[in-house]
Amino acid sequence: MKKLYSNKLVIFSLVLPGLLLFVLAILAPICLSIYYGFTNYSGMGHAKFIALDNYKALLSDKTFHRALLNSLLLAVGFIVIQHPIAIIVAAVLDKLQGKAEGFFRCIYFIPNVISVAVIAYLWKFVYNPDFGMLNNILKGFGYQGKINWFSADTAIWSVLIVLIWHGFGWGMLIYYAGIKNIDPVLYEAASIDGAGSKESFLRITLPLMKPVIQINVTMAVISALKQMETVYLLTKGGPGDSTQFTANYLYLQAFKAFKYGYGNAIGVVFIIICLSITVSLNRFFREKKQK
Amino acid sequence: MTDKGAIIKKVILWVILSAVAVVQIFPLIWLIDFSLGTSNEMFTSGLLIIPEKIQWGNYVKAFIDGHFLLYLRNSVLINGLAVILVTLFSIMAGYACRRMHWKLNGFVKTLLLLGMMIPIHATLLPNYKIYHTVHLTDTIWALLIPYIAFSLPQALFLMTGFIEALPIELEEAAVMDGCGIYRIVFRIITPLLKPSIATVAIMTFLNNWNEFIMASTYLSSHKWKTLPFSVLEFTGQYSSNYAVQFAVMALTAAPAVIVYILLNKHITKGVAMGAVKG
Repeated sequence: MKKLYSNKLVIFSLVLPGLLLFVLAILAPICLSIYYGFTNYSGMGHAKFIALDNYKALLSDKTFHRALLNSLLLAVGFIVIQHPIAIIVAAVLDKLQGKAEGFFRCIYFIPNVISVAVIAYLWKFVYNPDFGMLNNILKGFGYQGKINWFSADTAIWSVLIVLIWHGFGWGMLIYYAGIKNIDPVLYEAASIDGAGSKESFLRITLPLMKPVIQINVTMAVISALKQMETVYLLTKGGPGDSTQFTANYLYLQAFKAFKYGYGNAIGVVFIIICLSITVSLNRFFREKKQK
Repeated sequence: MTDKGAIIKKVILWVILSAVAVVQIFPLIWLIDFSLGTSNEMFTSGLLIIPEKIQWGNYVKAFIDGHFLLYLRNSVLINGLAVILVTLFSIMAGYACRRMHWKLNGFVKTLLLLGMMIPIHATLLPNYKIYHTVHLTDTIWALLIPYIAFSLPQALFLMTGFIEALPIELEEAAVMDGCGIYRIVFRIITPLLKPSIATVAIMTFLNNWNEFIMASTYLSSHKWKTLPFSVLEFTGQYSSNYAVQFAVMALTAAPAVIVYILLNKHITKGVAMGAVKG
């Protein structure tokens, strides 16, 4: 048995496809990115080695700073707006029984299975100043002006609303799954002891949900960092750089501004940021757990 | 607690749930509503419109000029292949890393899982260069390779957990009967993993079905474009005919929404299982 389980050839054949794909689609491109990050390659012609110039430029690049700030704003938006609503809705949903529970759960998740392409264009119309849904709603409340939802001051908030709206179902579902894992006996015991639903939510649900909340918060921060598609289709990062995000910025630099080398340098820094934030969040939560 | 209090509580419960449901679903209802009217009707002041005559023609235009059938076929084919291969590779690698005895198993597993933390977008630029150099742009491989590679880490993570939970006695008995490793993996382990395979398949499918930024970077012709392109290409073509644009959006969203509603119990379970583990 032992011999069978340590046959090198068999092991190699089992991990080969996975390893090969990892090397081809993830490792090789990262190495190539590191190389081009040191050059001033435009996308065509000759690549000249310029050492750390791209990285020096990045340090003082205001657009890049704005992109990171927007990711932070989005992460805060997820954590302060989306998640509290998601937890409460999940807890309330758990109390419902039968058909209604399935019905609401289904509705909340539907936006998540719709393509970002549809979501982005749909919201472009929702925000449309002439016939958009939002201005029509405001008209219903008696407001006659036309609000431009994509002006330099408003655009980032409009983008945040779309992203918070779109990701809501996913976050809710994870909390819902976590709540379903809580032993109902605990709630029964609490209600026998005279606890109302508010107390049992604060004293039982929230504390027991801690690990789920930590996972969800980590994922929210990462996805705020990785945001690109919705912004790319909604605003292309504009007007100005008001809705710029890192991934969108590196893409535009490489393919629209023909600074392929610079785009790759942003990519390298982007990977480092994602890795270090994931690792440090995990470590932070693990240490807290041990205490 | 009095009956009155219980009723009030129930009402509050329903109000919260319904309010959130309206916020989540109303834009989609609005979308379908406007897709059935004419573009002129949109400029009336009401929130929803009641079309004078339902314009099915919008959908016919969307169906034909949006290349709906071709793109749907591509989406189904590419995603189907990706799901099958991700499942297969993750079972193989998961088994090797969890059950087999070799020195590097921890290292290889960590390496593969590292892929979960790498942002796809950082690989767009170099991958484009690579595919361009080896003439893979505009082929099915340009989508399949990254789709599988970026879904594999999560799948592997889930699979190793599931494989670990299986009782080892079964395998021991199989070895006694003279089974080789491949037979153990594909004949004994794989059938036992059915619910886990469903989870991995659902997660992979959700990850890739709506993907478009890789597709729009690596593809240039119609040949392998996927469903989101119906919408992306349409805005230029029918830039002033809003109603038809609404129709194409509703149409491209429809397959995933219909499948979701039909399978919603399984998908919810799968996502929940995957997410809580992940």
